[in-house]
Amino acid sequence: MKAEGKSGKSVRTGGVVFFFAGFIIMMVVGWVVFPRLLYSEKMQPVQFRHDIAEGHSECEDCHRFRDDGTYSGIPSLDNCRQCHEQPIGDTEAEKLLVREYIEKNKEIPWLAYSWQPDNVYFSHAAHIKRNLPCTRCHRDVNKEGKAPPYWENRLTGYSRNTMRMVECEKCHAEQHASNACQVCHK
Amino acid sequence: MQFAAGAVGGALFTPMPWKLAEDTAIWSQNWSWRPSPEDGEITSVATTCQLCAGGCGITARLVDRQRAIMLQGNPNHSINDGGICPLGASGVQFLYAPYRIPQPLKQTGKRGDPTGLKPISWDEALSALDAKLTELRTSGNPHRVAAITGQSENSMHRLWQQFSTAYGSPNLFTMPSPADSQKLAASLVFGRQAPLGFALEQANYVLSFGAHLIEGWGAPGRMQVTYGRWRDEKPGSAKTRIVQIEPRCSVTAANADEWIAINPGTEAAMALGIAHVLIRDLLYDADFVSNHAFGFDDWQDAAGKTRQGFKSFVLANYPPEKVTELTGVASEKIKELATEFARQKRAVAVWGSGNGAGPNNLYDDLVFLALNALTGNLGKSAMLGLTPEVPLGALPAPTMDGIAQRGLAQQRLDLAPKPNWPLPGNGVHAFLEAIGTNPAYPIDLLLIHEANPAYTLPGNQIYYSAQEKIGLVVSFSSYLDETALLADLILPNHSALERLDDVCGLPGVPYAYYAIASPILPPQRNTRHTGEVLLGAAQGIGGSVAASLPWKKYDDYLQERVQGLAASGQGAIAEYREIEPWRLQPGDSPELFYRRPPTEGNSAEQKTPESLQKTRTVQAYWKKLTGGMYWYDAPVNVLKNLATPSGRYEFALQNLQGKGMAADEDRLYLPHYHPLAPSGDEKDYPLLLISYRMLSLSDQFLANPPFMTKTLSDDLLQGQDLFLALHPQTARAQGFSAGDRAQLKTPQGEVAVRIHVSQGARPGALFIVQGLGHTAYDEYIQNKGVNANEIIEVQMDPLTGLATTWATRAQLRRA
Repeated sequence: MKAEGKSGKSVRTGGVVFFFAGFIIMMVVGWVVFPRLLYSEKMQPVQFRHDIAEGHSECEDCHRFRDDGTYSGIPSLDNCRQCHEQPIGDTEAEKLLVREYIEKNKEIPWLAYSWQPDNVYFSHAAHIKRNLPCTRCHRDVNKEGKAPPYWENRLTGYSRNTMRMVECEKCHAEQHASNACQVCHK
Repeated sequence: MQFAAGAVGGALFTPMPWKLAEDTAIWSQNWSWRPSPEDGEITSVATTCQLCAGGCGITARLVDRQRAIMLQGNPNHSINDGGICPLGASGVQFLYAPYRIPQPLKQTGKRGDPTGLKPISWDEALSALDAKLTELRTSGNPHRVAAITGQSENSMHRLWQQFSTAYGSPNLFTMPSPADSQKLAASLVFGRQAPLGFALEQANYVLSFGAHLIEGWGAPGRMQVTYGRWRDEKPGSAKTRIVQIEPRCSVTAANADEWIAINPGTEAAMALGIAHVLIRDLLYDADFVSNHAFGFDDWQDAAGKTRQGFKSFVLANYPPEKVTELTGVASEKIKELATEFARQKRAVAVWGSGNGAGPNNLYDDLVFLALNALTGNLGKSAMLGLTPEVPLGALPAPTMDGIAQRGLAQQRLDLAPKPNWPLPGNGVHAFLEAIGTNPAYPIDLLLIHEANPAYTLPGNQIYYSAQEKIGLVVSFSSYLDETALLADLILPNHSALERLDDVCGLPGVPYAYYAIASPILPPQRNTRHTGEVLLGAAQGIGGSVAASLPWKKYDDYLQERVQGLAASGQGAIAEYREIEPWRLQPGDSPELFYRRPPTEGNSAEQKTPESLQKTRTVQAYWKKLTGGMYWYDAPVNVLKNLATPSGRYEFALQNLQGKGMAADEDRLYLPHYHPLAPSGDEKDYPLLLISYRMLSLSDQFLANPPFMTKTLSDDLLQGQDLFLALHPQTARAQGFSAGDRAQLKTPQGEVAVRIHVSQGARPGALFIVQGLGHTAYDEYIQNKGVNANEIIEVQMDPLTGLATTWATRAQLRRA
């Protein structure tokens, strides 16, 4: 009887150990391994320094709105070409820009940190009109000497920084903007 | 067990499952087959549509000037007034279609085998073409080269003519069009070969003999806008009345004020019945008939023989009672229509043969012309005229060396060894028939440009048997159509939206029109403008051929043409929407309607002849025309300088006698009802099969794009099944009910169809739509329904040798 009792207790203890072992391992997997597996680290094709984009103190100077009110996003190669037809300075990034893109007239495949999926309709104009600073959603690039790595979600193909719906909703609620489905999902 | 439970529990305390669930949703946004709109700057380019000959002004919406998103009507273009037809609206699909030919191809296997078509470089392709052209010329056989082009009125066609003449081949054909027979009819009655134009914008009464006015007749954009204006209720002007005479309740008939369901093919008899009443009741324009016409009364021919005139002929042969027997229309109705037609000052009769795609029975054209002439439509009201020639820069006279002269001295193949017809026209059908049967000489090289005869020709089998006898077939198609599939060499042209071309004159329009279609975006594939290929081939041949086509690029050639237009001092560019060229009467100056209304920052502008002259520079013209504007000029007075033997409008066709036609019967010189009887025994084939066209189903060179196929109703096409429309009585008599499967048999062939019972079909007739049943292209186009051209009968017009179609004897059997 006693022996049986002892062995029953050790089974229970063993069970708890196993349970916690599984629990902890999955915690580690979930918090540490999974994020590393999920994202691949990529660097921008050309190292662009926001801090020396001289003479352009406002974001809208480069990331402008077109005449029809649409947002142009990342400037096109034509924009770069205005100054960089010939290399300025002798950094690797500068050589790469001129040799690989400007001379070949090939658009730079920038990696957009905040790209929203197609099922989301997002208008920059509507948000600027509410006087929201760009930094409310985007990182502050004023002093940024090096573009941060781009973490691509291996499953979705989108950036890690892509804003989640919950964040949109939270801000809409704070700003007393509508959270109806069709506001973003047309 | 515990380990697993722990793992699950642990996992639930990490973001992993929630993150995965969310990511899975976003992952669906990146599935490759889910279309994703291109992002970038939206721009708009204005140009002229060249998906058909209608010359509509269009604007293309582009992303970053590279990706076309959609085509819309250009609101500043008054011809289509911002409107667009279904084909135009689907136009972008032709740019990105999977069946586009990406680069030159050469058939390495058996002709017609799609897997045998292998990519080659442009250099290889061009040298193969050059080699064949040079070989045939140096061997003294330039007449053995033939070309078929789908462009019949523009500068590209003019370039083909120049090439063909300089090279030495008489065998240049265009694809069949209603203008083929109209031009010949005009040559008889006016002495000038030009397409007819109708001042429909001015009309207040339209008597339409089967013309599908809002379903693609003439210039579709112009017709839609004009139709809308007819239907506008404006104070002070009566609504235009439309009477549609045809055996099927088409969209035009359904929207007309009156639909007269006539016996198939008897429209010309009906017109003569109306003419009879006009003459009998003295309702015709006596002034026109006595001062400007010949052959209304009895006349004497060149041999001095007295011949019957139109008046006594019509009075004797087409009393309403007799016409009723032919047409099935009550004689009272005929009298009523004649009275209405005569009473209206701006009444016009229009017509469209068979399905309206090809040439007409020549006597039918002449009958309808005579009906218009009777009410004075050619004179004072100028309701009917000839499309004026656009004064473009003339091409240099082609220099012809001995080889070219000998080649051109050969009779055209459809007319060799001697012509079978007194008034031969664009005999593309007869030409193909000659190749397939017993040609006077073989064709060693056939060039096919913007045309798909293997599909679009009525009785298309004729192309299949002809091509077997042709040495080398070269297609310039941008799409892998039925004809390109049967080619040995494909040198793909740019698609319509990627190339520079022009539009000279609009079908069915009496005022002068010229527009340039400029590319909306760079070529998407490794294609070349056929004009450039032709110029290159001329240089490759060298000598007099190169000298006759001296332009380096097609742009240079077209600019030279426009330079001539600017230098002509005629017409003007329509810069504003408010310019309405149809208001111009023959002889009016264009500045009359060159009026800009006041806009913000601009005062109203009215041009004077002097200020207009200053705008006529080649630079200004080129810039405006390539920017989507058009050039226009007033109609011409057809009664001025008539080049007929009598110098008048000819009711009695003296010109026919001049063409060597000596006939005893007087009626052969007069417009009369002359149906071409369909073959086959009525007992075996008790029904009449008639094909028709729809505006929302492309049946010509361009295959119906998937956007338009989506709009076809279930009683026309369901899955792969085509539905045939027949009257409930006919369906009952034949033992069919709606949706049944049937075998449709004609003397030309047999196909499987299904039954659509419709009150809109004339009893005893079967109606089949044109434009389905492709066998080439891709899975989105091919094997949907039946190609009507395979089973309809072609009848050669006895005067012109043009291939006409109207009805085919048919039987239906249960499948």
